[in-house]
Amino acid sequence: MAEKSNSTKIPSSINIQTAVLLILPLLVLGAVIWLFLSTGGGLQLRSPAPVEALTVERSLLSPGSIDLRIRNGGPDDLRIAQVIINDAVWPATVTPNPIPRLGRGTVHLNYMWTQGEAYDIRLLSNNAISFETQIPVAFNTPQPTGRTFLSFTLIGIYVGVIPVYLGLFWFPALRQLDRRWMTFLLALTAGLLVFLGVDTLAEALEQAGQIPGPFQGIGLIGTGALVTFLLLDAISKRQAATGRDEAAQRQSLAYLIATGIGLHNLGEGLAIGAAFNVGALNLGAFLVVGFIIQNITEGLGIIAPVLRDRPGIKQLAWMGFIGGAPAIAGAWLGGFAPSPTLAVVFLAIGTGAIFEVVYEISKLIRKDTARQPMPATVFGGVTTGMLIMWITGLLVK
Amino acid sequence: MRTGVSRREFIKAGAMTLFGGLGAAIFGQKAIGHPQRQMNQDPADAMATTVGEVDHEANGFNPSDILTDFDYGEVSTLENGQTLREYTFYALNKNIEIAPGIEFPAWTYNGRVPGPTLRCTEGDRIRINFTNGSTHPHSIHFHGIHTMQMDGVPGTPGLIPPGESFTYEFDAEPYGLHLYHCHAFPLARHIAKGLYGAFIVDPKEGRPEVDREFVMVMNGFDVDFDNENDFYAVNSVAFHFQKHPIQIRVGEKIRIYLVNILEFDLINSFHLHANFFDYFPTGTRMEPSEYTDTIMQTQAQRGILEFSYKYPGLYMFHAHNTEFAELGWTGNFEVLE
Repeated sequence: MAEKSNSTKIPSSINIQTAVLLILPLLVLGAVIWLFLSTGGGLQLRSPAPVEALTVERSLLSPGSIDLRIRNGGPDDLRIAQVIINDAVWPATVTPNPIPRLGRGTVHLNYMWTQGEAYDIRLLSNNAISFETQIPVAFNTPQPTGRTFLSFTLIGIYVGVIPVYLGLFWFPALRQLDRRWMTFLLALTAGLLVFLGVDTLAEALEQAGQIPGPFQGIGLIGTGALVTFLLLDAISKRQAATGRDEAAQRQSLAYLIATGIGLHNLGEGLAIGAAFNVGALNLGAFLVVGFIIQNITEGLGIIAPVLRDRPGIKQLAWMGFIGGAPAIAGAWLGGFAPSPTLAVVFLAIGTGAIFEVVYEISKLIRKDTARQPMPATVFGGVTTGMLIMWITGLLVK
Repeated sequence: MRTGVSRREFIKAGAMTLFGGLGAAIFGQKAIGHPQRQMNQDPADAMATTVGEVDHEANGFNPSDILTDFDYGEVSTLENGQTLREYTFYALNKNIEIAPGIEFPAWTYNGRVPGPTLRCTEGDRIRINFTNGSTHPHSIHFHGIHTMQMDGVPGTPGLIPPGESFTYEFDAEPYGLHLYHCHAFPLARHIAKGLYGAFIVDPKEGRPEVDREFVMVMNGFDVDFDNENDFYAVNSVAFHFQKHPIQIRVGEKIRIYLVNILEFDLINSFHLHANFFDYFPTGTRMEPSEYTDTIMQTQAQRGILEFSYKYPGLYMFHAHNTEFAELGWTGNFEVLE
């Protein structure tokens, strides 16, 4: 009896011991933090000048008024003392003032701005540190009304949905190709995606430079991209492990490609919406045609793995939707609630997804080339894919 | 001043139309009960100004007081019958609030910017005991007629290292409105930091009687050290006289001693609303050179303005470099019945 209770007690006492050992360092850490906060740790290093950082995340214009959404990225609370707009000190209401560390604030100006003109706004902190922001072209910030909603939806449809579906229309023709050409198309898709992935990564890095330092844009990209890559990898491995046939695996790869392209198009929609929001984009017919031509190849990429199979029209419709529709959501988000930080996260996810899909395609190509080596086909496909993107990119950059 | 594109100039022209509109609105009012206008409500009524109030007590000086605090020195008579005026000057580093919430790390004479307004009569002996309590070498360089030894430039005994003292001594001539400033190098930095003040030498026979006399030193502050002024003012605090109008009465004879010490910008100017004034450049002649409502001055130029108001009301005075006006160099006269 005594032995029995002992044997059950031993593991539980080990558990308590483990728990104590796990918690002990945390307690010591707490004590050290408390000691530092209460004594200052004997450090006599004060910056000779205050360190402050402020990011203007968004400017909103309506008749006779300008609102700036700002974020304090500095180590301490930040108080805005005065605001200067186009070399005139202007009365402003700042809420809250001071702005807590990493907190958001709003600067409101009653100012009769003029349509189409440029404004330079300087926010002066009470340490006389000046933060500048530009409104390159002043116009009423689009409000989420029915009309603007429709406009942004149309942008998303033009840039994402239409081109992807147009690409899918190649399906019947491409089905006639022999195996070698299908592999060529797979390689071409890989080339397209590598190009898009690099492009998405570059966009993410650019955006990361615009977000407050403490949000660690680069770290966010690394985390977002790798986590997405590993997640998609796990999903596809799990599907492969369920022992389905190759056709089913190819179909799930097509869905994966659609997802990767969809995430890329979400990023593209975000960028277009945000650029339109600040008047930095002239979304003329030429640009829209350019986007359609460039993104038509994305539809091609989605169907490349399933050319030898017989996916239903419903399946194809879904793939097109997954690949194209996120552009609409991106345009809404970028147009109505642009957030540089959120944009970095989405772009990072897009990067991870695209490179994972490239990895999946390369596995498929390797399977094909194992049966029949065709190095020139793979080389030619990847090169063609990348060159297509570069050349069609000339139309939209 | 920032180099603006023509488009910007156009915007400023628009802002001036706004000024004009306001002036007209005020002129229409008969009784001026409260000269402080509510600017924040309607965007059409909005105008350039700061938010909040400067802590004048912490600054140790008030721009309104500087208008009239003439310093005649400690007066005695020398053996030869000449009047001796003795002054104590010290240079001191001090943070001053030049717009609400905006502190400028100034270099000052006697803890204020501008320094004391020296006032004497032509031919007086001026003796200034100067101690440099600052962290940089400084001097006092007077505009006037004196020996090289008293010129306060490098290579003369008057350029004083930190912690040391020197006595400047000279006869006040010629009569007129002058100024003094530090002449240590780099000169632009030493002036921009606040080491300057007005120096009035009255003619022996005096100037015609007036009712009120004011000293206005036009200056500016580069708070972010990019060699461009961020705020402009008269007597250092941006928009001070817009928020605290100078009260005068209809018909009172007003004399303004106007000095421009603005660094970094080529010229400064003074424009009086709804009125004209006699202008005496440098104050060295008793006859006005011009009857006008706008004059301009480059750095160290100065002159005397004389006028009186015919109608009661609230009248602006400001730099007609309108950019400066909207960055702080704007004030009001409140003319009472």
